[in-house]
Amino acid sequence: MAFPSDTLTQSFVTELLEGGHDFQVAGHVFNIALYDDTTTMTAATATYPGAGVNGELAAAGNYTQGGQALTNVAPVWSSTGGTAAIIDFDPDEIFANATFSAMGALIYNTNGAANTTVCLLDFVTLQTATAGDFTIQFPVANAATAIIRIALP
Amino acid sequence: MLGQPGIPQVGKVKVVTTSHTGLSIEHWADRCLEKLIHVAPGDNSILKDQAEAYREQIRIVLIYYMTQAIKSDRTTLYNLFLKQGHRDMAEILRKL
Repeated sequence: MAFPSDTLTQSFVTELLEGGHDFQVAGHVFNIALYDDTTTMTAATATYPGAGVNGELAAAGNYTQGGQALTNVAPVWSSTGGTAAIIDFDPDEIFANATFSAMGALIYNTNGAANTTVCLLDFVTLQTATAGDFTIQFPVANAATAIIRIALP
Repeated sequence: MLGQPGIPQVGKVKVVTTSHTGLSIEHWADRCLEKLIHVAPGDNSILKDQAEAYREQIRIVLIYYMTQAIKSDRTTLYNLFLKQGHRDMAEILRKL
């Protein structure tokens, strides 16, 4: 089974309109959790399934279930590469001294009990670290490539 | 890449992994450069050439000073291990 393609989740887009996600520097804490290709998550997955559930990696090789917290960068309007409101996470997320493989990731909001989802990120191929660094490198933060963006013409 | 206006979109992450080592100085220099200098694709002007040449120069400087920073840190650690009586560990660090 393949990991689902990159997608924002349906609930995230709805919750944006409800003010459910705060990406300010001192806003909500967003985690990134890693998954193998057995996951059945889709764009319709509204909440983090739980520790070790639905293909999340086992707590081994220096992976902690639930994932790691990302560092928010305040949303800005970008005029580079087009025009869009963008959200970025910086620095890159590093799982240090890691020994595990993953096919994709889930970013979710840890604010409140619900752990509502933001997006699914497909690594395309199985990525493996062995006693090394497993680094998730976020794209350049501009209107064309930023990790989350809402474009205008 | 821009897609349809008004539709929220998700970007593409890149995963970099290592085995039995950390990430290289070159990796970090390139990541740092991406934060410092962005040269828009598709622009073939002289300005673009100049920007890319400048970026390469900055990359060389970054690599040099990152290398020096690592050496300095190893000197600190070498002396710390030595002071604590771990000469063997200190020597491993010194020979890196």
